[in-house]
Amino acid sequence: MAQGNLLDLTIIEAAAQLERRRLSPVELTEAMLQRIGNVDKQIRAYITVCDEQAREVAGATERMIRAGYYLGPLHGIPVALKDNIYTRGVRTTAGSKILADFIPTEDATVAARLKRAGAIIVGKTNMHEFAWGGTTDNPHHGTCRNPWNPERFPAGSSGGSGAAVAARTCLGALGTDTGGSIRLPSSVNGIVGIRPTIGRVSNYNVVPLAWTMDTVSPMTRTVEDCVVMFEAIAGYDPFDEHSAHAPVADYRAELPRPVRGLRVGLVRDYSLTHVQKAVGDAVRAALKRLEELGAQVEEIAMPSIHGNISAQLTIESCEPSAYHQQWLRTRAADYGEDVRTLLELGEMYLATHYIQAQRYRSLLRKEFLEGFKRVDVFVTPTLPFTATPCGATEVVIEGNRKEDMLSAIMQFTGVPSLAGLPALSLPIGFDPDGLPVGMQVIGRPFDEGTLFRVGHAYQQATDWHTRSPRL
Amino acid sequence: MKSEEPVTKETVERLCAQAELALAPERRTRLVPMLAGLIGAANELSRKMAAAAHRSILPILRFPER
Repeated sequence: MAQGNLLDLTIIEAAAQLERRRLSPVELTEAMLQRIGNVDKQIRAYITVCDEQAREVAGATERMIRAGYYLGPLHGIPVALKDNIYTRGVRTTAGSKILADFIPTEDATVAARLKRAGAIIVGKTNMHEFAWGGTTDNPHHGTCRNPWNPERFPAGSSGGSGAAVAARTCLGALGTDTGGSIRLPSSVNGIVGIRPTIGRVSNYNVVPLAWTMDTVSPMTRTVEDCVVMFEAIAGYDPFDEHSAHAPVADYRAELPRPVRGLRVGLVRDYSLTHVQKAVGDAVRAALKRLEELGAQVEEIAMPSIHGNISAQLTIESCEPSAYHQQWLRTRAADYGEDVRTLLELGEMYLATHYIQAQRYRSLLRKEFLEGFKRVDVFVTPTLPFTATPCGATEVVIEGNRKEDMLSAIMQFTGVPSLAGLPALSLPIGFDPDGLPVGMQVIGRPFDEGTLFRVGHAYQQATDWHTRSPRL
Repeated sequence: MKSEEPVTKETVERLCAQAELALAPERRTRLVPMLAGLIGAANELSRKMAAAAHRSILPILRFPER
């Protein structure tokens, strides 16, 4: 098969060919490693490329499949992992200088589960240092760039995973999401990403950002691929104290269920407010498409939603500062300037600020659970703007007013993070500059299945997810 | 720190001392406007959450499995 064709294969398509032995895992892995070699000097999506290990595993995989031992749809699929996810024997830097030489002696549960499913890890992806930021402008490992326009940012903190998938250097990747770190790069890189319900996917052996909000999950080009990776990693893990016993559904079986009759909620004065015009237009068009598929859109008031950014900044400031307390006193100069500043600021909140922010989460969650009596999902843009220039610290959303990037970027993704709800981002169009726009679909706790179903129905009716950046 | 009190260099100095966080004077100065914004917003949220209508709300640190 020609290399160009291989690069465009989805996980589902590649799996079908691998199972029938029409495609060799060695050939597929080589194509990805070659692609990394061709584009990653420009994109910097990877901190470590595991070429030697990937080739070894691909060879072994080929022998297994040839011998009749096919493990399932991830067997022989090249994937990448964000570099805060422990990988045994492969350095795991968390995008930092502090952990630059850290080589874990065991895998994160999610890494072990992907390996068990037969996935081939081609590399560890670039990220915002310690996941504390949304740009992936990394001072230690290089500025990651957006494959749709390398002058623009890939968002973050899982910017490397987003760029790696969009640039066709792997078929899927894992990211981590605290306040939006999977959904933001999924949106600006034109791919799919899901933040799971807290407890659904194990955080064991993942370098934390904020313990009460951290999650791990896949980033892929299609919803169906996302489901394949999600099914491999979801489920109870005794090593993670926050892991939930909630049963994991057969998400793939549920995908074909139509969305006719599905009730979609918009939060009044929030869901389509304070967004760039192209973003608002794209979300309205996507809602119309869902209505054409039989969904019903309803507006719901949620008086407590304003205040979410302060709550998120408070929690995301205090918890990382607690985790980094010792390093901030012994290795402060080894942090990048932005992260160091945020960690210093996080030491200066009062305990009451932190507790009130955690109480706010209860209030917000209660309002959402009340809202879910009337609708099945809520919809917002994933972020209110499209990819900004690399290095920007401010963004213009409306008029000429410049806003702080960190607060602006959290406008929509912070809400499900605080409320402990799952949320899917999927591509729904492009702005006039050819930059992707994403839509966020928020679901009930542990109801990732409905999010996948909505996303899949939308992707069956549109072709945004099939477009690729010119690199 | 009282919610009405503006964030100044002295505020940051006092908070650093309480946290046993040794920061150079220029770093402390740099933090003042950023901290003022963050603490202002956090105080506003605190006022909202301290209202009588919300007194029964508990902090959420771990989510129920349903």
